[in-house]
Amino acid sequence: MSKLASSEYYDLVRTTNWTPRYVTEAEMFPEAMSGSRGIPAEAWETFDEPYKVTYSDYVATQREKDAGAYSVKAALERANYIDTADPGWVSTLQAHYGALAVAEYGAATAEARMARFARAPGNRNMATFGMLDEMRHGQIQLFFPHEHTKRSRQWDWAHKAMHTNEWAALAARHMFDDMMFTRDAVSVAIMLTFAFETGFTNMQFLGLAADAAEAGDHTFASLISSVQTDESRHAQQGGPVLKILIANGKKDEAQKMIDVIFWRAWKLFSVLTGPILDYYTPLEHRKQSFKEFMEEWIIGQFERQLKDLGLDLPWYWDEFVRSLDETHHGMHMGVWYWRPTVWWNPAAGVSPEERDWLEEKYPGWNSTFGRCWDVITENLQKGREDLTLPETLPTICNMCNLPVVGTAGDGWNVRDYQLVHNGRLYHFGSEVDRWCFQQDPERYQGHMNVVDRFLSGEIQPQNLAGALLYMGLNPGEIGSDAHNYAWAGIGKQNQAAE
Amino acid sequence: MSAAPEPLKPLKTWSHLADRRKRPSEYDIVNTRLHYRQRDPNVPWELDPNLAMNQWYRKYCNESPLKHHDWDLFQDPDQLVYRTYNILQDGQETYVNGLFDQFSDRGHDQMISREWIATLAAFHSPARYLYHGLQMGSAYVAQMAPASTITTCLYFQSADSLRWVTHTAYRTIELGKAQSDLGFGTAERKIWEDAPQWQGFRRLLEEALVVWDWSEAFVVFNLVLKPAVEEVMFGTFAEVALANGDTLYSLLSQAEMRDAERHRRWASRLVEMALTVEGNKAWLRDRVAAWTPLAEAAIAAFAEALPESDGGVAATARLLNFQRTLGLRD
Repeated sequence: MSKLASSEYYDLVRTTNWTPRYVTEAEMFPEAMSGSRGIPAEAWETFDEPYKVTYSDYVATQREKDAGAYSVKAALERANYIDTADPGWVSTLQAHYGALAVAEYGAATAEARMARFARAPGNRNMATFGMLDEMRHGQIQLFFPHEHTKRSRQWDWAHKAMHTNEWAALAARHMFDDMMFTRDAVSVAIMLTFAFETGFTNMQFLGLAADAAEAGDHTFASLISSVQTDESRHAQQGGPVLKILIANGKKDEAQKMIDVIFWRAWKLFSVLTGPILDYYTPLEHRKQSFKEFMEEWIIGQFERQLKDLGLDLPWYWDEFVRSLDETHHGMHMGVWYWRPTVWWNPAAGVSPEERDWLEEKYPGWNSTFGRCWDVITENLQKGREDLTLPETLPTICNMCNLPVVGTAGDGWNVRDYQLVHNGRLYHFGSEVDRWCFQQDPERYQGHMNVVDRFLSGEIQPQNLAGALLYMGLNPGEIGSDAHNYAWAGIGKQNQAAE
Repeated sequence: MSAAPEPLKPLKTWSHLADRRKRPSEYDIVNTRLHYRQRDPNVPWELDPNLAMNQWYRKYCNESPLKHHDWDLFQDPDQLVYRTYNILQDGQETYVNGLFDQFSDRGHDQMISREWIATLAAFHSPARYLYHGLQMGSAYVAQMAPASTITTCLYFQSADSLRWVTHTAYRTIELGKAQSDLGFGTAERKIWEDAPQWQGFRRLLEEALVVWDWSEAFVVFNLVLKPAVEEVMFGTFAEVALANGDTLYSLLSQAEMRDAERHRRWASRLVEMALTVEGNKAWLRDRVAAWTPLAEAAIAAFAEALPESDGGVAATARLLNFQRTLGLRD
């Protein structure tokens, strides 16, 4: 007889629903945590994950994956690649780890929400593996940057960032908390695993892995591709949940959850990933533009997945597609200009050659965003660095907690979408951000963004130095231009003077 | 915005570990102080402060009756991280899979008696539900615990319970092949829901699953329910299995007990840490005293129905002794 094939006993591992007697079903699966939406347990039992795994296979496969990734790291550690890496690439890594490592560990909590509260037994088991996966992603993305703490205090932010009130960390928290930590199990499956992981993290991880390999950072390339291979196993949970919701007349609810989180994810990626792919990655190592990645992974793949499930494109799809030419350029300029308020050194990425590339990938860039960079470049060349640094705070969106941006120069269209709600004036970076708020004002209404806190007197002293202190940023941590303005020709001038 | 003259100097490790004398281990680097929801106890999540989930975490985590000034100081005595957990359990699974394979080759299920296989149908296969309940319970305490080092132990514990579910499902199918008319794979839910031997455990499990306070849920699962289940399933039942020639169950349950012992090691360390704070001891003893009678009843109901067992006397004694070694019982 020998060993059973996993297909013989797999179904029994997920035949685990029973009818409670000593407590009620509603007590055991509170709606606020479970989100069954009146759909009975039997209907949830039709949940069938397409990608199946057993405990034995899991520990064997994952042991191998870690052995591979950790040995690449160990083998390359002494080569000290990072000391000779392009400063833009170093910033890429610092931004990536700070925004994601601790949040990935946190995502295990969202998986645990499903592991306990999902009414679908298959979902509960897959979420148990998902819980382990996210723990891995948190731990490995802390272990890898840790070797660099001796190089600069900015590396400390791989652990520290999410524990601070630094604005980008706050924006990331607002989004992650909304998507996965404060939602019921069914919403987590849809928002986290379907809209976010299936929709966006492919983009982040494949895009970055491709650029890492090009940039010669094989440690990071292997890390990120290894993490990516875990995604499909737990990102699959949303699909079957969506099918059950749709089959039980809840399509509109499902659609709304996707629409809200898709937009929120887009905004976060527009500040986190967009600038990295189009400005920080050294020109010669760029595989594709951010927009091209978005077109391939979102417009190509995610759009098809939505259609296959019988869902619609979000109502704002045209606006989303339009903003692929705009938002991340605005976010990049915002981050670079307010560079002392982040924990990495933003790379301007606007040397003449890079501007040619930008113009090619985004026709019209030079006459819009390029106009602002013209002024910045000129000021730097005239020795007026002070004019390239901020003296005030930008207007911050009350939904995405990111600066309100739009197209600059000849295409000027920047607009603050305002809303008065219960006597308070809210600001939004787009019509969609405002719409997200209006879908569920009670989730968001009492939250204060950084500017709200500044104006309320919570940040003291009430100036930029006080704001930096509030954000946990000290000299040695605060950002400056990654290439020390060499792109503006300043390094060359200095050399000539010597 | 001119920078202060002296920038912060780089450190050899994370700033939150820099004051320690000892060099940080991999465990320290990847596991400590990760729950950012603990940064502001009044507003765990970066949304409206009155959001239901903010209230849930305030009430059931931050305002829990079990107190410590810094739960993040907790350390798993086994120092497991994801990487080492898989190394450990891959080895353990290789052993268990080897058992399955070899006992199958030897025709084990053809050599044990039909009576014993019927006993397995009633007393072993339905444990799938119980183990899955433990898996759910650990996943809950994990999402509510106040420190990442505690949470990580619970993630592994939940995964170990899934491991037991999987072993149980595997054996259920195998036994069904040996005796196809005993309802293996189909009858377990009804047995779990209705048969008297399971009702004590079912009641305790169901009531434990609706304890929302993190520390009370920890007490019920880790100090009462789990040890009771383990003493019965890997103790009492394994002894009877051995007497009935079921060496495979005996070895399997010993392998599962390795996980259980690890769970007890970290739970004991957490209790030890809690006992350094005044007031915790009385509360812990009170909660253990309140819940343990249900566990004693569960053990008795199971073992009294089990032919050839001691009625659960030894299992109960071991459970109470475990609580005694923690200082939570006289």
